Amino acid sequence: MLSRAWTWVTDRFGLTPIWEVTLGRRVPKTPWYFGDGAALLLLFTVLVATGAVMTLTYAPSPDAAYLSVRHITEEQPLGWLVRALHYWAAGFMVVMLVWHVLRQLLVAGYKSPREGTWLVGVLIFFGIVVMSFTGYLLRWDERAIHAVRVSLHMFHRVPVIGDALVVFVQGGEEAGSRLLTRLYSVHVIFTPLLLYGLLGLHLYLVLFQGTTTPREREEPVATAEEQRALYKAQKDSEALGEPFFPDTAFQSGVMAFTVLALVVGLAVGVGPAPLYPHANLVEPSFPVEEWWFWWYSALIALLPPAVAPWFVVAFPVALFVAMVALPFVDRSPARGMRRRPFAVVFVIAVVAALAGLSGLRLRSPWTAWPDPAPPPVPAGVVLSPEAEEGRHLFARFGCNSCHAVAGQGRQVAVDLARTERRWSRDEYRRFILKPPDDVAMPRYRGRLTEGELERLLDYVHAAQTFPRQARPERPAGGPFNRPPGAGPERPAPGAAEEASK
Amino acid sequence: MGTQAGEVMDRRTFFKAVLGAGSVAVAGLLGIPGVATILAPVLRRPRGAVWAPVGRLDAFPAGQVRPTVIEVPRDDWDESLRRRAVYVSRLDPHEVVVFSRSCTDLSCPVMWDAGSGWFLCPCHGGIFSSDGQPQKGPPSRPLYRYATRVRAGTLEVDLRSVPPML
Repeated sequence: MLSRAWTWVTDRFGLTPIWEVTLGRRVPKTPWYFGDGAALLLLFTVLVATGAVMTLTYAPSPDAAYLSVRHITEEQPLGWLVRALHYWAAGFMVVMLVWHVLRQLLVAGYKSPREGTWLVGVLIFFGIVVMSFTGYLLRWDERAIHAVRVSLHMFHRVPVIGDALVVFVQGGEEAGSRLLTRLYSVHVIFTPLLLYGLLGLHLYLVLFQGTTTPREREEPVATAEEQRALYKAQKDSEALGEPFFPDTAFQSGVMAFTVLALVVGLAVGVGPAPLYPHANLVEPSFPVEEWWFWWYSALIALLPPAVAPWFVVAFPVALFVAMVALPFVDRSPARGMRRRPFAVVFVIAVVAALAGLSGLRLRSPWTAWPDPAPPPVPAGVVLSPEAEEGRHLFARFGCNSCHAVAGQGRQVAVDLARTERRWSRDEYRRFILKPPDDVAMPRYRGRLTEGELERLLDYVHAAQTFPRQARPERPAGGPFNRPPGAGPERPAPGAAEEASK
Repeated sequence: MGTQAGEVMDRRTFFKAVLGAGSVAVAGLLGIPGVATILAPVLRRPRGAVWAPVGRLDAFPAGQVRPTVIEVPRDDWDESLRRRAVYVSRLDPHEVVVFSRSCTDLSCPVMWDAGSGWFLCPCHGGIFSSDGQPQKGPPSRPLYRYATRVRAGTLEVDLRSVPPML
């Protein structure tokens, strides 16, 4: 009876033919790490579900957006969990996306007959970059407003039409509610619609063209026909093939659910992204981008002035062109890693660069910032009263905005306890009053009284005798070389009244 | 009914032509106003200067750089972020300079460091001297200066005299 009812359902709703070409089909056996696509699909599902319910509360208006996000986090039942899941799923989406692309480079997933699958994937890649950027702007806190201004400045760099592009993205001559409305529309309507279509096409092409198979990595495969024949032979073979459901689906599911478990763990353990003070263009601010963009921020900071202006335009364009061109440029029949050492070295270099640059961003040794507190006196050092006075002048005249002393402070300029050689008082005097032209240091001639200069010299001269530790015990400055009190814990102006409402 | 080539158009060719023309008409009907809506901010850009008061000129003491907040005039319903910090410099006693707070590398908010007398950017290491010249890091051009004028003792800046993302 029950089985007859089921037969009726599958027949009348036309499920049998779909089943046969999707879950019911046979596929070649693939290794576990082919589950990254399933992980991406699961993360996408989490993002759509959590994102959709947040639109029920979120108010895309500059006056209300920030408060509505705060309401979701603090007042709404389980709202914090929805936001946290959305945030961490978004971060892991970027990570898994990079993983997915790099894996395709390693197994030559872009080669015939899968060029179309790859090209659709390239569009999805850029669509998700747009999502991962517009998403955190919707919080409309300080971090958001400065992040969007950074990207607007990148549009400004586009030759000829730069400023028109800025106004186009911004929605007007100034950043305001038109900008937020546009960001919301792009994040919630336009890009998701595009992604649904592209993802559908991508998955259809996975069914239609298949994926890469173990056998084709062992011997060169020149044409699409050869690959299809190999694919068919493997899926039909008893030893090399298996039904997609449940065999392959289970294996992919293990990877997908492992990634999801990480997301849930971080969502529950760490919580949603912190809220910084309400968006404003008035307060002193120390903006930091979301962690999945750290590497890019570090890369930008390392650029010399001659390269910086055009790089921010050329890099994304070059990346897009290179990704689109790849299947047409690399037409060699070799597909495995063993025959393609260049691909292997390239992927290792990319991973190392992403990790290294992100780590560098955490240290941000290029950031100078005023600090009213003079550098501490190292343990075991006793300063003369004159040098002690000079230590305070060291902060008052902004020396510590760039210079560390004995590992304490900023790393933009030389640590004055670790100079390469001993400097005489007289050398210091001349240097401070008028630094050489190729040194980025302000001239202090005319800004210091003779007495102040003498006290300062007492201090910096004495600093050369401070004990030299091989490494500072704690890193100079916090993460990002951020001044104390610039984190999310700093209450927004007027936060007290709002909280008491 | 003959075409120029003297051939009779058959039914299916006619159907295809009508369907194609219909599709183009629908695409135009939705596409033209759609694209116009998307491009609206660029199609009708306001022209001319927008002067905003900064403060009494004599409120800015000579020899100092002072952060000041200007009010951006309200534009229709667009209310948010109407306040913007700028730096008013009277280091040169003969002129007053109003610097944008945006770093010329990528618009991060630069900080005036009164101690060193330089402007410091928190993002990618840009550093500018007190006259706005780049000294270190990626920036290649000096800090943006607003066009200024003094009316009845009040210093004013033209908001349109700097790029639109500032």
